[in-house]
Amino acid sequence: MERSAPQSPCETDMTTEAPTPIPADEASDPARIRADLITAIVFIALGVAVAYFSWTMDRLEVRRIHPSTIPGLVPFILGLALTLCGSLLAIRSARLDTRGAGAALVRVLVSWQAVRVLVVLGLALVYTLGLVGRMPFWLASALFVFSFITLFETVLADHPGSLVRTLIWATVIALGAGLGIQYVFGEIFLVRLP
Amino acid sequence: MFDGLILLGQGIAHFLTPEGLFNVVWATLLGLAIGILPGLTATMGVALLVTLTYKMAPDQAILTLMCVYLGAIYGGSRTAILLNIPGTPANAAATLDGHPLALQGKAGLAMGLATTSSTLGTLVGIFFLAIIAPMLAEAALKFGSYEFFWLALFGVVISGQMTGSDTPLKGYIAGILGLMVAMIGMETLHAYQRFTFGIPALGGGIDLIPAMVGAFGLAEILSTMKRTAIARIAPVNDRVVPRLREIFQYWKTIIRSGIIGTFVGIIPGVGEDVGAWSSYAAAKKRSKNPELFGRGSQEGLIAAETGDNAVVSASMIPTLTLALPGSAAAAVLIAAMMIHGIRPGPMLMIENAPFLYQVVAMLLLATLANLVFGLSLTRVFIKILSVPRERLMAVIYVLCVVGSFAITQRMFDVYVMLVFGIVGFILREMKYPMAPLVLGIVLGDLLDLNLRRGLALTNGDPTPFFTRPISAAICIVIVLTILMSIPAVSTRVRSLFKRGRGDAPAQG
Repeated sequence: MERSAPQSPCETDMTTEAPTPIPADEASDPARIRADLITAIVFIALGVAVAYFSWTMDRLEVRRIHPSTIPGLVPFILGLALTLCGSLLAIRSARLDTRGAGAALVRVLVSWQAVRVLVVLGLALVYTLGLVGRMPFWLASALFVFSFITLFETVLADHPGSLVRTLIWATVIALGAGLGIQYVFGEIFLVRLP
Repeated sequence: MFDGLILLGQGIAHFLTPEGLFNVVWATLLGLAIGILPGLTATMGVALLVTLTYKMAPDQAILTLMCVYLGAIYGGSRTAILLNIPGTPANAAATLDGHPLALQGKAGLAMGLATTSSTLGTLVGIFFLAIIAPMLAEAALKFGSYEFFWLALFGVVISGQMTGSDTPLKGYIAGILGLMVAMIGMETLHAYQRFTFGIPALGGGIDLIPAMVGAFGLAEILSTMKRTAIARIAPVNDRVVPRLREIFQYWKTIIRSGIIGTFVGIIPGVGEDVGAWSSYAAAKKRSKNPELFGRGSQEGLIAAETGDNAVVSASMIPTLTLALPGSAAAAVLIAAMMIHGIRPGPMLMIENAPFLYQVVAMLLLATLANLVFGLSLTRVFIKILSVPRERLMAVIYVLCVVGSFAITQRMFDVYVMLVFGIVGFILREMKYPMAPLVLGIVLGDLLDLNLRRGLALTNGDPTPFFTRPISAAICIVIVLTILMSIPAVSTRVRSLFKRGRGDAPAQG
C-alpha cells in the first residue's frame, strides 16, 4: 500500500503544533471555519458559565479575608477572558464563513476517517470503562490489543492482508503486550497496575 | 566560574557508573525509537516514562527522562528525511530539505548531517544553560509575588501567541482553558475547593501527568489512526558518517541556529518546533544559496536540526530556575521532578545546586549517546520505521492507561486521561496548540496564588504590579505581545518599520 508523500509538512497531522512561520492555508478551509464558529459559541457559553460560578462563589466573608483575595477572583477574570476570545473567534469565523461550509463540515464528520476515529474511541472506552478492573489487567489489555489490530488490519484497512496472518500477529502481540506490560511494570519497575 | 566547572565535573562523574550508563543507553535507544515512530512524540514518551521511572532514584529517573526527551527530538529527524513525515512536530522543518536530499540518493548524508547538527545544537544549548541558569536563578531570588504573577501570565500569553498556527486567538484560548483546568480543586491561599461540584476526587485538582498522557498520548493515537495511507521509506545507499568539512563549512549557520534555538528555549512554553522553524527561516535569509532551500539544502537541514535540539537544552533554563516550563515536555519534567522531591525554581541553586550541573551532565551524556547510536545503528532505525502503526498504537494505548493510573493509583486519573485525550484530539483537529494548554495547567496555581498574595500584601492595591521595574517590564512585553497579535495593529507597526527602512536610503 503506497501513497504519494505529502507535498509539505503542513499536510501531515504531525505538524498540528507548527508555529506561524509555516504558511497556513487552514484559514481557507470552510469546514474548519464553520467548526470554529460552533466552538467559539461553546467557549462563550463556557466563559459565561465560569464567570457566573466564580461571581457566585463563596467570598469567605465569615473568615474576614480581604475582598481582593476571594477564591473566585482569577476564575472570574478567566471566564471573562474566554468569553472575549470566544467572541472574537466567532466574529472572525462569521466573517470568513462561506456558503457550503456547513455541508463541508458534515462531510468531514461522516468521512471514513471519522469512522476510524470513532472505532478507536469505542475500543478505548470499552477497554477502559468496561474491561479494566473486571478481569486481570493482562487479559483486558490482550483483548483490547487483539480487537484493535484485527479490526484495523481487516475491516478498516484499505487493502486487507491475509486474515490468518492478521489473527496470528494479533494474538502474538496481544499476549506479548498484555503479559509483557504486566511483567515489566509490575515485577521489574514495581508499578501497581489497574 | 571554577565552582561551576567543578560542579559540572562532579555531575558528569556522578553518572559515569554502570547504572547511569545503562540508563543512558536504554533510555536513548527508547527515545530514538519514539522519535522515529510517527505518531509518538517526545512529550508523549516522557509522560509515559514518568510511570516507569517512578520507583527509581531521583537523579537516575530524571536522567532517563532527559535521554528519552533528547533522543526523541533527534530521532524524529530520521522519519523526516526518510518518510517526509516529521517523527515529532519538532522535525517538521527538517522534512523540507531532508527528504529532497534522500530523494537525490543522499539519505545517508542527510542523516549524518542531522545527527551531527543535533549534537552541536544541544552543545550550544548546554553552553548557555550552564552560563545563564545560575545567573537567572540568582536574579530570580529577588522576584516577589508581583513578578511571578506576570511571569506566569507572560508564559501563557507568549506561548499562545507563538504556537497558534491558525490565529493567535486559538493559542490564547488554549492557554485560558489550561488555566481554567488549574483552577479546579483546592486553592492554596484559603484552602477553598473550587469547581469540584461535590466530586471528592476533584478536590486535589487535575494532575498534570494524566492530563498530558491524554493530550499527547490518546489524542496522538486518534490523530495517527485517522489516516489510512502510509508513506514510502526512501532507500539509504550512501555513507552516514559525514566529513568534518561538510559540517563545519556551515559553522556560522550552526552557531546562529544554536543561539536562536537557545533564545526560543528560554521563552516559556515555546517548543522545539518554533526553534527549528525560526532557525530555518534565519538560515534561508542569510544563506548564499537561498534558492536551494526546500530542494535539498544541506544548510537548511543543519539549521533546522541545530535549532530544535538547542531548544531542548535551553528549555531547561526557565524550567530549572523559574519553574516555568520551556516546552511541553519540560512541563512533564517539572511534574516528574516534583514527584521525585526535586523542587525547580529560584531556590534550586540554594537548596540543590549540584542538580543543575547534573542536568547539564545528563544532556551531555544523552547527546553523546545520540551521536554514537545515530551514526552507527542506521539499519535498525529503518526497521523501526516499518513497524505497522495498527499494531503499535494499540500497545501505546495500554501504556497510556498504565501511565495515568500508576502514580496515584486511582481510576479517576485514567478517566481524566480519557477526557483530555478526546478534548485534546478535537482541539488539535481544529488547530488549537497544545503547548499553551499545558503551560496553563502548570502555571495556573502560580498565577492565581501570586496575584492574590500580591494583592493581600498591599491590602488590595494593585500599584506594585505596575510600578516595580521588572513587573512593569514584563507587563509591557505582555501588552505589546497581545497588541501585535491584533492583525490591524501588527500590519500598521510593520508598515511603519518598512517605511522607516525605505526612507533611510532616500535621506542618505
